[in-house]
Amino acid sequence: MRAGNPARSAARWIALAAVVALLAALPWCGNAVLVQFGISALLLATLAQGWNIIGGYAGYPSFGNSVFYGLGAYGVAIAMAQYQLPFWVGMLLALGLGVAFAGLLGLAVLRLRGHYFAICTLGLALVMTAIVSNLPLAGGNIGLVLPLLGNAALFYELALGLLVLATLTVFWLARSRFGLGLIAIRENEEGAAVMGVNTTLYKVLAFMLSAAFTALAGGIYAYYITYIDPAGVFDLALNVKMIIMAVFGGPGSVLGPVLGAFILSVISEILATKVTSVASMFFGIVIVVAVVFMPRGISHLVAHVRQAGWRYFVDNVRAHRL
Amino acid sequence: MALLAQIVVSGVLLGGLYALMALGLALVWGVLNIVNLSHGALIMLGAYATYFLFTGAHVDPFAALPLAAAALFAAGYLIQRGILNLVIRGPMFNTLLITFGIEVILTYLAQLWFSADYRAINPRYAGSSYTFGGVTVPLVQALGFAIAIGLTAAMWLFLLHSRTGRGIRAAAQNLVAARLYGVDPKRIYALTFGLGAALAGVAGGLYGTVSQINPYIGGPLTAKSFVIAIIGGLDNPFGVVVGGLFLGIVESLTALYVGPTYRDVASFGILVLVLVARPSGLLGRTA
Repeated sequence: MRAGNPARSAARWIALAAVVALLAALPWCGNAVLVQFGISALLLATLAQGWNIIGGYAGYPSFGNSVFYGLGAYGVAIAMAQYQLPFWVGMLLALGLGVAFAGLLGLAVLRLRGHYFAICTLGLALVMTAIVSNLPLAGGNIGLVLPLLGNAALFYELALGLLVLATLTVFWLARSRFGLGLIAIRENEEGAAVMGVNTTLYKVLAFMLSAAFTALAGGIYAYYITYIDPAGVFDLALNVKMIIMAVFGGPGSVLGPVLGAFILSVISEILATKVTSVASMFFGIVIVVAVVFMPRGISHLVAHVRQAGWRYFVDNVRAHRL
Repeated sequence: MALLAQIVVSGVLLGGLYALMALGLALVWGVLNIVNLSHGALIMLGAYATYFLFTGAHVDPFAALPLAAAALFAAGYLIQRGILNLVIRGPMFNTLLITFGIEVILTYLAQLWFSADYRAINPRYAGSSYTFGGVTVPLVQALGFAIAIGLTAAMWLFLLHSRTGRGIRAAAQNLVAARLYGVDPKRIYALTFGLGAALAGVAGGLYGTVSQINPYIGGPLTAKSFVIAIIGGLDNPFGVVVGGLFLGIVESLTALYVGPTYRDVASFGILVLVLVARPSGLLGRTA
């Protein structure tokens, strides 16, 4: 969507709207298994898009986003199972918990850079399971059971709506003063500060925005799956998946993470049914191959491989090898 | 009072093992600037190597440690030469991510080959212990502690005085200058990663004699090693020993006074507090 070519830009918008309409129509054409797969793929894409805001644009590789997901799931579960409140109140609670926690956490840990930020959020993700297991309000180790709705199509549309909202937000972000500030922080944080970017404020806001979508996805998941426990929703493996999907698709791009999430979800689903032994290793292999040969993701690959051909991969290795 | 003394002694013995675990991670981090997230998986592989040498070939677990170290050294050398050297000049996040990918692959290979069953290395003398003035010291843990401290000292002497050790330190300080003085970075980097993996292998073998092993022990052990490296800094192996002992004692005290489920909360709580208060580590150089 480059500026200066309105016809082409309009064509892309129409194509994207058609894809969204097709996806929205899927529950009425496809079978139940496909809808189930769709919900999980859409939620993962939302998580990857949420991670993209803090990890892709601001350049802070968060391993703590699974914490926001867990908080969102528990927000809905506590509201519905412990207080018999309606779903939308639970979603508000999920949003509030995730965003408030991200704000407080962000003020403390966003001062750290690189490895230190990554491992600090990783440590936090590891202790969350232990902390929530000891909370009676959250059902302790046993978890919480939510009322059964049994309307998969509704959850599918909710997940699709959230993904569209997240993607539009990132589209706006990429063009806004706020988003440019985040990119400046990623490229050179001191430089950004010198140019007048309030780096602390921008980073914390990005973390909160990222947490908002992640927590809402967790809330939808909790009501859809109707049973949650600490180890299931504060799962570090989920955080790894969102990072891989965003990085594979193209961190810091608008559609890359969504594309990455869809492609990897489909491949891992096929592998899980055909060759189960490789399926569990699949994400590890994707990381290694993607980081070596296409570290800037699918969206960069698509844009450049036509002129460079196979040289694209060779050049990537050449640029970073010893 | 006797109970407290016992807890502190147990913590110190555990801490020696923790220090050895963290030593390899700190070496690789300090020299290659890679935080190796597959370090825990290498510890896990070392534990399995020792386990199978013991159960399959009836090699005493302590005699099996050099063999486990050699096997892990070879694996580490190949990982650095074949994969990590290809991406080492890329952004820091990429090297972090790729070691995570290696961790996932190693964990699931272990699950495929060794199954997810819990296993333990139990030699005949596993239950023997000595008592000094009311404080019990299990033989296996005492031996493990002695080996851990001995290896740390050997590592320090090696880095200070051997030709290869000087090459490693030179590469860590200034790669361009080291190259001019005839250091081959590809070889030195692979050697360093291999050494880190060998230390992980020994630590894994010792871990298997004091605790149960399964393919998934790697992640938390990587995180603990990181906590220790953060506390101790990357400059000097003895900082890592201090960090290991500190963490071992804190974990033992927490398990007694707060509850065993809070052990990991304490260690990662320390991690978050230390990072927020002193991002360069308690004893470390600036990041």
